[in-house]
Amino acid sequence: MGIRLASGSGPRTLVALAAGLAVMAAVVGALGKNPLRAAGAVVDGSLGNSFGIGQTVQIWTILILAGLASAIPFSARLWNIGGQGQMYSGAIAAAALGITLPAGWPGAAVVPLILAASTAAGAGWGWLPAWIRNRYGASEIVTTLMLNFVAVLGAAYVIRDAWPDRFAQQTEAVADNARLPVLIGSVRADISIVLAVAAALGLWVLMTRTRLGFAVRALGANRGAALLSGASESAVASAAFALGGAAAGLGGGVFVLGIHGALLNGFSAGLAFLGIAVALAAGLNPLRVIPVAGLFAILRVGSNNLQAGADLSPATGDVLIAVFVIMLMVVGVIRFSYGELVDG
Amino acid sequence: MEQPNSKPALALRGICKQFGAVVANASIDLEVRAGEVHVVLGENGAGKSTLMNIAFGHMQPDAGQIEIEGRTTRLASPADAIARGIGMVHQHFALVPTFTVAENVVLGSRSARAGLLDRKEIVDEVSEVSARFGVPVDPSAVVRDLPVDERQRVEILKALYRDARILILDEPTALLGARQIAVLLEIIDRLRADGRAIVLVTHKLGEVMEIADRVSVVRRGRKQVELARGEFDQQVLAKAMTGQLIADEISRSLGRDEPEVVLECRGLTVPEPSSGPPVQGLSLRVRSGEVLGIAGVEGNGQRALIDGLTGSARCEGEICLDGEDIANAPPRRLRRCGVSIIPEDRQGRGLVPDMTLAENLALVDLLAAPPGDAPRLVSWRQIRAEARELLEAFDVRPPDPDLPASALSGGNQQKVVLARELSRWPRLVVADNPTWGLDVGAIGYVHRQLVAARNDGAAIVLVSHDLDELMKLSDRIIVVYRGEISLEAPRAEASLDDIGLAMAGAR
Repeated sequence: MGIRLASGSGPRTLVALAAGLAVMAAVVGALGKNPLRAAGAVVDGSLGNSFGIGQTVQIWTILILAGLASAIPFSARLWNIGGQGQMYSGAIAAAALGITLPAGWPGAAVVPLILAASTAAGAGWGWLPAWIRNRYGASEIVTTLMLNFVAVLGAAYVIRDAWPDRFAQQTEAVADNARLPVLIGSVRADISIVLAVAAALGLWVLMTRTRLGFAVRALGANRGAALLSGASESAVASAAFALGGAAAGLGGGVFVLGIHGALLNGFSAGLAFLGIAVALAAGLNPLRVIPVAGLFAILRVGSNNLQAGADLSPATGDVLIAVFVIMLMVVGVIRFSYGELVDG
Repeated sequence: MEQPNSKPALALRGICKQFGAVVANASIDLEVRAGEVHVVLGENGAGKSTLMNIAFGHMQPDAGQIEIEGRTTRLASPADAIARGIGMVHQHFALVPTFTVAENVVLGSRSARAGLLDRKEIVDEVSEVSARFGVPVDPSAVVRDLPVDERQRVEILKALYRDARILILDEPTALLGARQIAVLLEIIDRLRADGRAIVLVTHKLGEVMEIADRVSVVRRGRKQVELARGEFDQQVLAKAMTGQLIADEISRSLGRDEPEVVLECRGLTVPEPSSGPPVQGLSLRVRSGEVLGIAGVEGNGQRALIDGLTGSARCEGEICLDGEDIANAPPRRLRRCGVSIIPEDRQGRGLVPDMTLAENLALVDLLAAPPGDAPRLVSWRQIRAEARELLEAFDVRPPDPDLPASALSGGNQQKVVLARELSRWPRLVVADNPTWGLDVGAIGYVHRQLVAARNDGAAIVLVSHDLDELMKLSDRIIVVYRGEISLEAPRAEASLDDIGLAMAGAR
């Protein structure tokens, strides 16, 4: 199975968005509710007050990183379904260091150190399926998916046995010097959004301007020609997975040091998987991941307000995201191709 | 059947079609009458396929109109075209590999839509159509198991089953061997006698001479000339098609007496090639400035040899390049040692169709160069500038480095592959059927470029199905038969008879 992204997909993305919104408006209308009021409730809930904005920025940060975790390997036609596990391994590393590093060390040293460790842990967890693939030829789809369970159970161990708090639903809190510095106090936005945007920019430069990024794209676009021209598939697979895993791992660190201040059971709330949708909707372009993640974050956070604001289920926001991704396929921004017909 | 004043079965009038800045069709007229074969002749990229796709409703013309039996019609889709009696056999077939011939033939037509499919009934129906038009196929055979020529006949039957009065055949001989072409031309002849109107698209002059009642020559989107039988010969057509007379002689510079050996294989065995039979214990040598031509009936180990030489399959034995053992080295290492590879499958292994020409031209440099050899950041501005020069130098049309490779015609795509592979000062060139599917003009170009590389001192291994090509380019020829060398001779001493016998396995 291959995936192809249509060139000049920008305007089509907007068409898909409009079509998705129209379908959702029709559904909401059919339920006897006012679509405009529902839209108002979403905007109000996500951007209408400082609490909502703070939450939206947090989710935006995580979705950028989760989107990158899929976008980079996908570009090489390697299917990373393991963003969740990579995020968890980053979070475990952050919790372990955040709890155990001396409380007296300055934050300016501790925070970068821990985030680097989270990134490295995610990269390592991402690299593992690439290594298994290179060494034994095992499908990365299966291994990344399975490694999610391993990482989630690893987190359960850390939460229940290593550093449990009183109720064993989360670890004890990380030390204050390990918390992410707050950037804008009024909306509780911390520096992680800057890191996420910087990661997207960095990976965009890597994909468009370096030989590694070119090799990733060439292998994704035509494996046969890339290999015959001298690409090393195992090197590209290792790098693409490690880079994707690094982004997800950083996301795990942000959860622990920024959002929660501890490692929580089930902390990622499906956001790692939503990253796959972000990557596809962004056409695997790291730069476009930024606005798409922002849009999805608005929908995610804003739909919590649907119950109160428009008498609709909060799940409606997720439905809209799903409809949007389907519309992207309908208008041909994302094309999956299966086996070819008989051909000469 | 022939009435001098009858309306043409299909008439295209003033068809214009433009893709961006590329004019594919500039006001082209074309008429074909019942009982007539009208050949549309032109080089790759001349605009033939676009014209045919318009005639079959795949594309809409920017201007111009289509008349069927005198009535102006709009063909919004291939379904429209089929409903009005047009059938088309494409270069790339649209068959379901796991279905039988009969199932493929009736697929999507009315009798299959009516409800349940009676297997016996459709087999009988298809047999009847097959017999009536003399298009031999086995209706119960599964398409996956059929060779190319039979698959093509299934496509022809599909059209006839839908009672196509007008049949468009787009480069039907591109994939066929000489004997298969003869069978196809016989079928076309019978369909003509039956009163069908046939449009045959090709770039091969021999077929035109054999079958055409009328020829339209298309070059660069314009119709150059239309000639009736008796008004044309090969020279006239070639000149109209390419705009020049083709020089058949290629200048060769005489090399030194005993140039160094570049490639030496000893006891090369490739047990599991990507397709076809293995080669066993094969030994050969190629010197600098020498073209070694490899002849043989398809499927006698050529694929295995190419796979072994290009690091695409495991092999045993020795392959030495300038004295260094490169057996089982991946393409990455071969590229670093100065091996250029011109694969047979240019879209699958030669190019990345979705990438730009600039990216395709830089493919090997960017992917294979050792890490320290290039700057960390890729300078696309410089790559594009270099690409523009290469495209001009290799006469790629259009020479726009930002165009995706998929936008080019086959011949121009091959020129891009050549530009990339031959501009790298190769020590060894492995060329696998480099002119497969190209038109006369492009073939001549590829030949001149290969000889130029040879004259610059490259060692060239040339595998080709085309004996004329091998005789023209090779300094030495070997014939492979069942994975072993059955004949080896300098070109001057090799007669076509000897080669033919060796290809058949008679020593």
